[in-house]
Amino acid sequence: MQKIKKSKFLCLSIILFLLVGSFSFSSALAAEPRSGGTLSITDFSFSSARTLDPHLAQAAGSMRFIENMYNTLLKYKKAEYGSITGDLAKNYTITNDGKKYTFKLYQGVKFHDGSELTSADVKFSIERIIAKKVRAQQFSGVDKIETPDKYTVVITLKEPVAPFLTYLAYPMNAIVSQKITESNNNDLSSIDAGSGPFKLNLWERDQYLILDKFNDYFIQGKPYLDRVYLKVIDDETARTTALRNQELDLILQVSAKNIDRLAQYPDINVKSVAGTYWEYLGLNTRKGPLADKKVRQAIAWGINRATLNKMVKFDKATVLTSGPIPPGHWAADDLAVYPAQDLAKAKKLLADSDYSNGFETTLIVLSNPDQLNAAQVIKAQLAPLGIKVKIKSLESSVYFDKLGSGDFDMTVIGWVGFVDPDEYLYNIFHTDGIWNQQGYSNPEVDQLLEDGRRTSDQATRKEIYQKAQTIIAQDAPMVFLYVNPQASALQDYVKGFDINPTVTTISLVDTWLDQSAE
Amino acid sequence: MREFCYRFYKNKLAFLGFIILFIFLVMAIFAPYLAPYDPFQMDPQAMLQPPGADHLFGTDQFGRDILSRIIFGSRISFKVGLISVGLSLIVGVSMGIVAGYYGGWLDNLISRIMDVMFSFPQIFLALVIMAVLGTSSTNLMLAIGLVYIPIFGRIARASVLSIKDSLYIEAANSIGVSNLIIMLRHILPNIMAPIIVQTTLSFGFAIRAEAALSFLGLGVEADIPSWGIMLNQGKDWMEMAWWNAVFPGLSATLAILSFNILGDGLRDALDPRLRNEGE
Amino acid sequence: MWRYITKRILIAIPVLIGISIVAFFLIRLVPGDTVTALLGANYNQEQAAALRADYGLDKPLITQYLIWVKNLLKGDFGHSFFTNQAVSSSIMERLPVTFELMIMSFIYCLLIAIPLGAVASLKKNSLLDYLATIFGLLGVSIPNFWLATILILVFSLHMGWFPSGGFVSFFADPIANLRYMFLPSIALGASVGAVVMRMTRSSMLEILKQDYIEMARAKGVSQKILIISHALKNALIPVITVLGIQMGYLLGGSVIIEQIFSLPGIGRLALQAITNRDYILMQGSILFVAAGFVIINLLVDLIYALINPQIRY
Repeated sequence: MQKIKKSKFLCLSIILFLLVGSFSFSSALAAEPRSGGTLSITDFSFSSARTLDPHLAQAAGSMRFIENMYNTLLKYKKAEYGSITGDLAKNYTITNDGKKYTFKLYQGVKFHDGSELTSADVKFSIERIIAKKVRAQQFSGVDKIETPDKYTVVITLKEPVAPFLTYLAYPMNAIVSQKITESNNNDLSSIDAGSGPFKLNLWERDQYLILDKFNDYFIQGKPYLDRVYLKVIDDETARTTALRNQELDLILQVSAKNIDRLAQYPDINVKSVAGTYWEYLGLNTRKGPLADKKVRQAIAWGINRATLNKMVKFDKATVLTSGPIPPGHWAADDLAVYPAQDLAKAKKLLADSDYSNGFETTLIVLSNPDQLNAAQVIKAQLAPLGIKVKIKSLESSVYFDKLGSGDFDMTVIGWVGFVDPDEYLYNIFHTDGIWNQQGYSNPEVDQLLEDGRRTSDQATRKEIYQKAQTIIAQDAPMVFLYVNPQASALQDYVKGFDINPTVTTISLVDTWLDQSAE
Repeated sequence: MREFCYRFYKNKLAFLGFIILFIFLVMAIFAPYLAPYDPFQMDPQAMLQPPGADHLFGTDQFGRDILSRIIFGSRISFKVGLISVGLSLIVGVSMGIVAGYYGGWLDNLISRIMDVMFSFPQIFLALVIMAVLGTSSTNLMLAIGLVYIPIFGRIARASVLSIKDSLYIEAANSIGVSNLIIMLRHILPNIMAPIIVQTTLSFGFAIRAEAALSFLGLGVEADIPSWGIMLNQGKDWMEMAWWNAVFPGLSATLAILSFNILGDGLRDALDPRLRNEGE
Repeated sequence: MWRYITKRILIAIPVLIGISIVAFFLIRLVPGDTVTALLGANYNQEQAAALRADYGLDKPLITQYLIWVKNLLKGDFGHSFFTNQAVSSSIMERLPVTFELMIMSFIYCLLIAIPLGAVASLKKNSLLDYLATIFGLLGVSIPNFWLATILILVFSLHMGWFPSGGFVSFFADPIANLRYMFLPSIALGASVGAVVMRMTRSSMLEILKQDYIEMARAKGVSQKILIISHALKNALIPVITVLGIQMGYLLGGSVIIEQIFSLPGIGRLALQAITNRDYILMQGSILFVAAGFVIINLLVDLIYALINPQIRY
């Protein structure tokens, strides 16, 4: 017996992102979309682009370069963070036990070489993702993939995985052409094997990527733009100057300090939504003073998140007072575990621990300016507690090696792009989580996270995740600092672009240039 | 000696360099007494203040006083200069003297090693070494020191070769004075002039290298008030708070300039025939 | 003459071998490796071990070195772990940018520094001479990266005359290319220009003191011709040596300048490779920079030997 359960999996309860909604809505009313034109876009992450293979891409820059060349089975719904809608899948059904997914594909979808996209390509792609290891764990629950006909894909899971649809919408879980992939010896690092709205024209490494309109795109009339020019500009000053001089149309992510300044220019819009990029102070619970829960709690009370927000983010970020899921997300924790800095409480907790006279510790950090700055403020804020922090900034390869092997005391870093609460919590706070870098372990939390993964009812999941976050915040393997806004700066005439909390640019398919406003 | 002092004093520019350096030195030594603020003190109420009565050179993103950080920064610059130049001076000159004095395979080996080190652009080699060692002030001094070893080595070797066959060395040799004594007592003092000049100039290079590497994020630790670190952070504020990028750079330029004109002056005073330009 | 040239080239061979050893082993000492950099935030130990085996990074270092050298001799620089692109083509892609930057800086030196130095020497102790002296001193003292910052602040942010960073190929748009390259080449060329100017001035002064010039002067040859034909020609011999040394300096300085102005040149390639621990690409680009440096020095020595036959080793 099968029953359509689509609506249950759509997380429609998100209201706080109305800002995006109203923005794209009003621009849609202003004029009819027109075809034509070139859009130049840049982002600090573009310099990290290393490969065009979606199944190997890890760096944000690679993802931005790739995501418009391909389609996925499902995609994030525009302006509704957390919601999923069909992309290549016209519709889908899920059995009641939550294990069997049946997807019906659109017919007549073409790859950029003109061949048709069929269920065989979908099967091939998911198997390739698993073989390429990078995101294999998202599909570790897959039991088998069947293709009863050219336009039907049936995926059977070993056990229910609540965020499975969210995974399928992840832009890098792209459907690639089996034919093109195989004729290139399985190497997609610099070619295009997709069916997306734009096709690869030219990639000059560390300079730019040019995407051209795909005329046979399966949605009639789209995309509107003839060409998208993704430029690598490393320096933030250079980016903002270029936007002011109209050499650019869009800066994907504007840093906090530039938000107000760019907004002063009459032709430039700065649009900002609550983002998904949250930053934290990680405390290694495996060894030394930080293994002591009281010491960690003392640090959590001793940090002044508001001052950090002011000095590092110019009050543009949203302070996190409990777990990592940002306020506004349906699974955010309503309970403020750390409403404000409380030095007296921090000192008392520290006095009760074995480290009443304070201690010395090392904080490792990447050369990311905001995180380096946060580290300096944290160092100053912990000094009154007698905690002497030494800051060590490391190259990314060394840094992630230390983080992954648990060879550190403290760190400041962040995560970005999560949608489902399971993504926010399971891999990071479960005892066996693959990114449990803090070495945190609490059986109660483990149980909650496992339950959350298997439950499909959103109200129940909400309760589970709120409880888990409260416990995690109290145990303090991390001091949650803030969530960054996702702010883009664009020229007035750029319409239909959705500023997405996950930073994805998949809305370029709907983007157009309003020549009358130019 | 008296003639040297006279010639040096007569060179007004070099004397000016000497005076400026003396001021920097005083700043570095008495930094805690001279700085109007604690260079680490953050103040959320005084973020990015322009230069004014309260803060002569303004404040940075964290409300820290830039003048105080520049004063403390002179400590870092001088420390890095002193230790790294000391390292290349001692190692380089010893290697150069040994190579020049003994000759043969030892000379060949040392010279080839120096050739290899010389085949990397200095700042580039220092960058790679810093990537190997990781950012820290100790590593930075080591990296800069290593990079300048071959310069001292070559100068010392060339100078030794020019006096090795002179009568008094041969005389010392023939009466059985040990090699070590000859090198220390007779050779070293006679090649001092070019080495003193090179040492002075190297201080300028070392200060520049510290600033450049820290500017690229491969120098001293990020929370140390060094001129390079301040410039690294200041470049992001060029448009909104120019004082963050301008004053630390001015200090570095002034210090390097002083070492350069002092070096030029010493060269003229010690040995007017020495006139090789370049780095 | 030929003996000297052969000898200089033979000396360069052990140096190049030494460079290859340094380039290879220095990099292996760098903490962190390609695989951790590749995996980035998604790092976990099992994945890392699997990838390491895939890339042959689990073989002994000596074996890895010998394989690399063997391929080098065949003209194969290897492939980058990150991009799977051939190292030689990565280098060839970026070489024109660094080359253009160096050439443009060089041209400024020739156009401004040599005439300025010559004129200053003729009008010793004039206002112009003092200005030239100040320019020379500031030029050698001002750190190039700070000069770059100031140039961006003034000419790009305030005046809006030049872009503050980025690059357009000369063949795509020559005018845009020159606009992008202007500030970087000034920032890079300033100190070299200053050194060349000072050298020209001092060697001109030396020559002007010499007897034959005095004699020519006494005979009444017009001053202008005299300067051009005799003095400058002779004065340029040491200037050429200095220029050669400075070419190497330009190569080193371009690493920083490319970084500040986001120019996709060799220096930035090397820095990125270091950050990513992209061994093969790092080795290739470091070797390339160093070998370029050796070759420039070799050429300078040879040219110097040609124009000044008295100098022999």
